[in-house]
Amino acid sequence: MTDRCGPPDVDLDRVWTGVAAQVWLRRPGRIERLAAQLLRSPGLARALVTTPSLLTGWVIATAAILLAGMAATWGTHTPYVALFDPAVAAAGIAYAYGPGIDPAWELSQSMAVSDRMVLLTRALAVFGLNAVFGLLASAASGAAVAVTFGWLVPMTAVCALALAAATLARSANVGVAAGMSGWVITVLAGKAIAGQVTAAVAGPSLVLPYLVFTACCGALVLYTTRIPRGTA
Amino acid sequence: MNVELEELVRRFGHTQAVAGVSLRAGPGVFGLLGPNGAGKTSLLRMMATVLPPTSGRLELLSRDPGDHAERREIRRRLGYLPQNLGYYPGFTVVDFIEYFALLKDMPPRQVPRAVVAAVERVGLGDKARSKLKTLSGGMLRRVGIAQAIVNDPELLLLDEPTAGLDPEQRVAFRTLLREIGERGTVVVSTHLVEDVGAACTEVALMDQGRIVFHGTPHQLTARGEGTGAAGDAPLERGYSAVLAAARS
Repeated sequence: MTDRCGPPDVDLDRVWTGVAAQVWLRRPGRIERLAAQLLRSPGLARALVTTPSLLTGWVIATAAILLAGMAATWGTHTPYVALFDPAVAAAGIAYAYGPGIDPAWELSQSMAVSDRMVLLTRALAVFGLNAVFGLLASAASGAAVAVTFGWLVPMTAVCALALAAATLARSANVGVAAGMSGWVITVLAGKAIAGQVTAAVAGPSLVLPYLVFTACCGALVLYTTRIPRGTA
Repeated sequence: MNVELEELVRRFGHTQAVAGVSLRAGPGVFGLLGPNGAGKTSLLRMMATVLPPTSGRLELLSRDPGDHAERREIRRRLGYLPQNLGYYPGFTVVDFIEYFALLKDMPPRQVPRAVVAAVERVGLGDKARSKLKTLSGGMLRRVGIAQAIVNDPELLLLDEPTAGLDPEQRVAFRTLLREIGERGTVVVSTHLVEDVGAACTEVALMDQGRIVFHGTPHQLTARGEGTGAAGDAPLERGYSAVLAAARS
């Protein structure tokens, strides 16, 4: 790149780099720019918008499941949205980040933006989106107030279980299996004890156990993603 | 010294992948040779702060990777090409390199020019907007090299970087290594002896988790002279002679 025509005081390589930078690189979207401002890290924002369980296809699938839940609720008067959303959110959380989910996982592990931050940011975003979707669907399906909001705490616990299992086993599938089976067992146990399928989501006596369980899972996630010490 | 390892050990269950490696490396191109399963990749992954050591001392760029803040600082100055580079099929070449430039915490204003410079250095300017799923294996390897050098790293770790590159690309790549090695430390893990002979200033040969030779490529060549060791080139004969001596 030395045999070029042009004024002698113009660094054509530098000009080309500037032009190529403008042409080649795409401008971040609105959501990414907002996330970068909120998180104060463009790297974390880019990691957030590439979350597998926040991609358009996944979001549409989530919405479709909740719409089906709404339709079933109208038809049967059983609050299926409240029963579906914790399981759907748990799957989204388990598929937010990890080996096998992120193709460049090995490379991501060597990056300055810590993978723990990526994991927590993605998990929070997936949780938030599922909570909003669930609340809208629950409210639109005409469920009682207790049921509309009652599943938020169990959903937190189920998501925490999925995240802890996925992190510990380093497998999204294990996370999904743990979250789904944990939720199914809880719902069936609630039905067996109280005689109604909504017992697992509407019982105020379960709030404290759910929160304790969530805290334990959170501690497990923090422990599993800790930075090993004593290497130098 | 940019890399200082002392009695570094890594176990996976009952298997000892790295069995007490001590090493120091300053600026230059450092070749890590050895047969499959010698422990090269595990050693490189520890240097890349991806894998914590089971025991021993590891210091990179005069910092302790066990400390959160220092580890982050190391990673800002580190370039790493894993043996199996995973990639996002829907990303373009520049998207991919930009993503990792951002994850390396580069100042956002510097990222676009750094990405273009890295793409040009690996000769992928004409493929900059191509999706990764459309590229050949050799091109993907060059994308991997570009993301590793995008932050102008002080410590560059490359695991089998020339796999899939054609002879012309390998020559260009060796020139790139020598350029980077003038300012920083480049550690290249390979089982291709000719890469080491052409680009490295120092070489270590690993076998069964241990370093069985450490010196210059010239010294390694000398170890094979008059031994009748197998190999088509002098350096290969040195490699074979050292391995045979270590295993006897």
